[in-house]
This record gives sequence, structure tokens and C-alpha cells, in this order.
Amino acid sequence: MKFQIPIGPQHPALKEPISIRLTVEGEVIKDADLRLGYNHRGVEKLAEEKSWVQNIYLCERICGICSHSHATCFVQGAEKLLEIEPPRRGVYLRYLVSELERIHSHLLWLGVAGHEAGFDTFFMYTWRDREVVMDLLEMISGNRVHYAINTLGGVRRDLDETLRRKILEGLSVLKARSEYYFKIGAAEPTFLARLAGVGPLTKQQAMDYCAVGPMARASGIDRDVRKNDPHDFYNEVEFDVATSDSCDVLGRTVVRIKELFESYKICEQILQKLPDGPIAVKAPRRAKPGEVVSRYEAPRGENIHYIVANGSDKPERLKVRAPTLANYPATIEILKHGFIADVPLIFAAIDPCICCAERSVELVDARSGEERTLRFSDLRRMANDRARTLSLQRNVEWPL
Amino acid sequence: MAALKTILYLMVYPGFLFLFVYSTFVEWFDRKVYARLQNRMGPTHTGRAGLLQPIADIVKLMAKEDIVPDKADKRVFTALPVVGLAVVLTAGLLLPVWNIDLAATGPISFPGDLIVLLYLLSLPTLVLFLAGWSSTNAFSIIGGTRVLTMLFGYEVPLFLAVLSPAVLAGSWRMAEIAAFYRAHPLLILPNLIGFGIALIAVQAKLERTPFDIPHAETEIVGGTFTEYSGKKLAFFRLMADVELVVAAGLLATVFLGGFGGSVLPAFIQFVLKTLFVVFLLSVLRAVTGRIRVDQVVSLAWKWLAPLAVLQLLIVILIKGFAL
Amino acid sequence: MKIAAFLPELIRHLFKKPATLDYPFKKIAVPKDFRGTPFLHPELCIVCKACERDCPAEAIEITSINEAEKRFRMTIHNDRCIHCAQCVDSCPTTPVKAMEMDDLHEIAAFDRHDLKKSWEYVRALPKRPAAPPAKPATETAEKAGA
Repeated sequence: MKFQIPIGPQHPALKEPISIRLTVEGEVIKDADLRLGYNHRGVEKLAEEKSWVQNIYLCERICGICSHSHATCFVQGAEKLLEIEPPRRGVYLRYLVSELERIHSHLLWLGVAGHEAGFDTFFMYTWRDREVVMDLLEMISGNRVHYAINTLGGVRRDLDETLRRKILEGLSVLKARSEYYFKIGAAEPTFLARLAGVGPLTKQQAMDYCAVGPMARASGIDRDVRKNDPHDFYNEVEFDVATSDSCDVLGRTVVRIKELFESYKICEQILQKLPDGPIAVKAPRRAKPGEVVSRYEAPRGENIHYIVANGSDKPERLKVRAPTLANYPATIEILKHGFIADVPLIFAAIDPCICCAERSVELVDARSGEERTLRFSDLRRMANDRARTLSLQRNVEWPL
Repeated sequence: MAALKTILYLMVYPGFLFLFVYSTFVEWFDRKVYARLQNRMGPTHTGRAGLLQPIADIVKLMAKEDIVPDKADKRVFTALPVVGLAVVLTAGLLLPVWNIDLAATGPISFPGDLIVLLYLLSLPTLVLFLAGWSSTNAFSIIGGTRVLTMLFGYEVPLFLAVLSPAVLAGSWRMAEIAAFYRAHPLLILPNLIGFGIALIAVQAKLERTPFDIPHAETEIVGGTFTEYSGKKLAFFRLMADVELVVAAGLLATVFLGGFGGSVLPAFIQFVLKTLFVVFLLSVLRAVTGRIRVDQVVSLAWKWLAPLAVLQLLIVILIKGFAL
Repeated sequence: MKIAAFLPELIRHLFKKPATLDYPFKKIAVPKDFRGTPFLHPELCIVCKACERDCPAEAIEITSINEAEKRFRMTIHNDRCIHCAQCVDSCPTTPVKAMEMDDLHEIAAFDRHDLKKSWEYVRALPKRPAAPPAKPATETAEKAGA
């Protein structure tokens, strides 16, 4: 008999609200429908009202786990618009934090995958080891999440010799633990039985549905922004792109663990080759009119920021395309042929960062119940018309 | 005098009060071992070393608001937790907790009480299915069907595995089986395969990892327990705890030689042997991840049932040649 | 494929100390340069308002109390602050910055208006740059050349 099971918006499997409607027959899923927008905060509109410096902190708060990715992607683009070039030491430190963030994100994902599969012990162990990375990041940047180490023209804090040695020690501890997980955790039979063969996505399907990140790399597509479009740093370090041919959730797990090892390699190279010099250059307040597309390999895939400047000290337009949004169509396709018991794992395997992806708006007419999607340009026009007619107050009392 | 003894037996030890207190202690032990295996602390602050935590949980649940869904069958919905708890408490009475006079049979120890205990332990599964069904919620119905699907898997291996020591001891009465193994401790060894199968099957009956699919939190919210809250959920949790104690007691009686002597030494043996079985179940819970319901059934029929039959063959051979 | 591959590690953990800390009875120290809450050294502030302009959360408010005496009040709204320390970076006073971050992070309160901090102060004078070098050397050279 056909059933409609709602997963979300509130559900213990999801860390953020999203609505997936599954039509099931017994335990087999026949159809899947995705509804977004529960976490929409209006970040892109707010970015037009804040100056370039303030926008770094705003972009950081699009996501908690991949906060540095959004900040770095924005800063890469803004530096191009402001026509400044950060010094080498600043660039190295910036991408050191990037790789440390990738390590922290992949360890977090391993724990979440273990928890979704019911393997709570694995979850507890990986998150205990993640504390090592979080402590390192706290020592470097002053905070465990939202590192705020980027500034226009470089980074804000420097690394001294004791800290450098502490990072190397922490990395060696993590390397030993990751090797243990790779050997043993991936050989635990109950865990493997849940991961192997689940959520298949062939190479052709991955290319048709524009999957990005580990999702695409697990289907054998060798695509990584760090290799294809190295933004003046990644061509100075040696690393391999991690791929797998198994096209299922086990492949995605293996890809992420392999990426952990690549990140350890990159971090060690950075710490050994760290050049001397200043860590930032002074940035001008205004940007000349222009537009820039900035790409960055976040832990979840390719992150794109499109920024338009109009000569003032605030951006004209900021558009964020987070990797999770690109992975949604492929997820729907995978969900259509699975079991209910596999839904959390399939969904977790794309490493969803739902708050990153909340940029689209769907309008439902209250009277007739019909739905229509408005293009962003129409919405902007409507909002700007309204804003011109009302007078804006600056020091409004913030509502509780 | 006999009436007073019966009342004490029913209400205090090993009846209602003892099972209530001991099952909360066993839940504490299980949670603490599970946490220590995962390098965490487990319950720490309520009472000394967190001993009062399970009781605190049940008291908190009793105080919460009790909501019955609109479309649910109110009488069945309300009656099920009470029926479930009553069934497992009755099963607990059948455990031979001290030296029972083997010659006389009475209402708590008679030939065939092993089968009655196994039957009483199957009833909670039916209670859970009805709980899921009467909730008329998509998640609960799926949880209920999963409970029954698992029953098709583990019930037969459990029965066969528990049967083997009974065949070796030549009796259907648990007190006699326990006395037999106390007299011949070496004969516990041929039953080790059965012990292993019974541990896995009991883990499935109690719906703990790797078999906690019916209330898999990340898939179907609460499974059969989704719509239960307040006092009814407290009763279900108590039912799960007492079921753990009774199942551990069953395994300790049949495989590990039961509890002999007068009241005090038997009590100490009861505590030690059931805690040993619960420790093994906790390790099994920590070491594995959850498997899918079709994988449970195929695991049970491909591995557990043939091994149980093998165990039965071994026992029959030993009985034929040695005894 | 090993059955119960994690088992030796699990049993080993039974005898190790737990990795979790008994917070709030035991606390870990925060590292150096931890970004806690911002506070002001009023005697150093030159009221350039760079911190107010650059704060992403509009958490700093500088108002003039008395124009003649050059008295100002700065209010930091700690309930709006996102602890990014951009105010510290923007503060131009040398050698010691007027804005500084301390390491308080357990600042929860029941009412958000309890989290505002204010200072009233007179504006400090900006430090003068070093005096230009003395002229006599070039003048004597010109006189000699002329």
C-alpha cells in the first residue's frame, strides 16, 4: 500500500529543517520530493547593506562547519575587486586554516555517518578526535568555530614557533587515529553492510545532475577546484585528488577518509614551507565597479560566490552557490530507488549543510494553494521598489 | 504464614519492588558500561555516581503531559503499557531465585515453566506491535511492522538455543536445569555456541543495537513509541528494563548454572550472574552498528538457525554417548 | 572483514579515564588570544569611531554627551556582539590599542539589557608624530656652496 512519509522539517535525523516527502510501498521508496526554504535568512540582501569588511563576518555565518570556506571565497573575490594582493605568508596561513577546517569537517561527517547508521561508538570516537583539531584552531584563531582569521588583504593573526610545533604534534596524533579508522572502522561488518551498495550514482548520472565534491569524486569523476582552478596557492603544494569507483555511500566515505590524509600532507607542507614576511596589506575602503566569480573547494564541494561592485564601500550584489544545493538533484534521483532505512545515510552522504543551500524562494498563493517560483531578479526589483518608498531608520531598537 | 510468604514473594523479593529497583540499577550499569566503552562518563551527577539517574528519568516522565492522539483507539492505547509491564513482571516471578524444593511443584516452579517464560517474553513484542498500530501514525505503523518482521527472525533460534541445555539436563523445569548445571559445571562448555546464539537473539528481542530498528531514532523518529509520552512512556521504559533483567536471568539460569543456596547466597549469585550477562550485552551494543530489517531476517535464518540446530545435535550426541 | 573489529579498543577504554570533563565542576583554561568580550581603555580612546563603523553587528554606540568638554559615552551591546574582534583590529591608537578583547565567555544573563557596558570619558588627544629632523646640516652646506 502506498504511504507518504514526511522526513522533516523537524526530524531527529536532520540537523537543520528541510522537508523531504517520500512515497513508499512497504520499505521501498517510490518517489521523493524536496522542499527548501525553512532556513532562509536573507543573507544575500543583508550583504548589500554591509561594507566589505563587515561582509566577511556575515559570510562566515552562512554556515558553522564550513564557515571559513564562505569567508575565504568571499575574500578571494573581494581582493580581486579591491585590486590588492595578500602577502605570501598571509596566503599560506589562510589555506592552512582551510585544510584544518577540512579535517574537522570530515571527522565530523564520519561521526554523523556512524550515528545515522546506528553505530554510536564510531560517532563518539571520531568526535573525540575532532577535539584535537578544534583545540588547534582555537589556539590559532581564538575561537573553535567561526575562525574569523581572514581580513581583506591577508589574515589577522600570526603563527609563532611554539604554535607551529603544537600543530605538527596534533597532526601526527590525528594521522595515527585516521589510519586506525581507515583500517578497522571501514572493516566493521555491520557498518559495511549499511554502507555498501547503498545510494548508487553512476558516473553519467553524476555528470548529468551536476554533482560536486566527494559525491562526484566517489563516482569516479576527477574534479577538484584545488587542482582545476588553483587560486595562487594550491599549485605550490603537492597532493592527489581522492576518487573512488564504487559510486555508493561506501565510496563517499572512502573518498572523505582519503581526503583527510591529503589534508594532513598539505598542512605539513605548509608548516614546513611557511615563508616569512607580513601577514596582511592595507585594503582600500572602496572598490571600483566590476564583477568577479570566486570558486573554492569547501569540504562539501565547489563553493561559488559571485560579487558585483559599484564603486561604493558596499557590494552591489552577492550571490552564493553552496555545494549542497548542487547536490540536491542527484540526491532526489538516488532516493527514488532506495529503502527507507537508507534515507538517513543517503542524505548524510551528501554531507548536507542545509543552511548553506537556502537561497531559493518558493511562493504559495494563500487563497488558491498554487505555487510559483519567483526569479531572484523579480524579487530584487520588488524589494528595491518598496525600500525606496519607505524611509529607512538606522538605529532601530532590535526586536527581542 | 504461607499467605504472608506469598505476598512477600510477590511484592518484595523477587517480586515487584525488587524488580523495579534492580531493573533501574541494571539500566544504570548498562549505560555506564556503554559510556565507558566509548570513553565518556555516563550518568554522573544524580545520586552517587549517577545511580539514581534511571529512577530520575522515570519520575520525570511520570510528571510530563500525557497526550493521546485523536485518531488512536483510546482504550487499547492506554491499556498497552500496563499490560506490557504486567507481562514482564509476571515473567520475572518464574525465575528460580533461591533453592527451590525440587521435589514439590508449585505455581512458580513446575515442569514446563521454561516454555511459559519464553511465551511470556514473546508477549511484549505483540504489545509493541499493537502500540505502533493503535497510534495510527505513519512512523509508528512502520515501527510496528518492523517489530513483527524481526520476530520472524530471532524467535526460532532463541527457542532452539535455550532448548539445548534443557535437553542435556533432561528436564523442562528451570530449577532442575540450574541444579543440574550446578552439579556438573563442566557440562556448561558444550553449550557455549547456544550461549552465543541466545545472547544475539536476546539482544534482538530487547531491541538494542544492532537490532534497534523498530525504534531507530534517525529513521522513523520514535518508531512504536512515537506517540507515547508521560506516564505511558514511563511504563514502556520500565517494561524494557525489566525485560532486560528477566532475559538476563533466563540466560543465567539456563546457561550459567542458576542461583543456589538459601536466600542470601542466591541473591548474590543472581546479581553477579545477571550483571555478567548484561555486561556482555552492553559490549555487543557498543561494538556494532544498526543493520536493516531484511538483513536481520537473513542473518537469523542463514547463520543463527543452522548454528542452533548444530548446537542441538552436539547436545544430543553427548547425551547419547556420555550420559 | 573482521567480526567485532573494534572490540580490543573498546575493552581498552574500560580502563582509561573518560575523555569528557565534569563541566561545570572542572573547567579547561582558554588559550592565549581567545576572543572573549570587547572592552575599552577610556583614557586612550580618540573617538575616531572606526570601531563603530566597522562592527558587523552594530554593537558599539558612541554618543556625545557634552560638546564643549568633549565628553563621550561608548556603549558596547554585548548581546549583539558576535565576538569577531574587528573593533580591536580597526582601532588605530598606538602603541596600545584602546579596544581590547578579554577572555570571558561565560557571560550568559537572564535579561539581554544586563549585557550592556558603558564608559563615559573625555576624548584623549591623538599622539603627535615624531618631530622633523633639525635643518642646520643642509643650511651650512648651502652656505658653503653659495
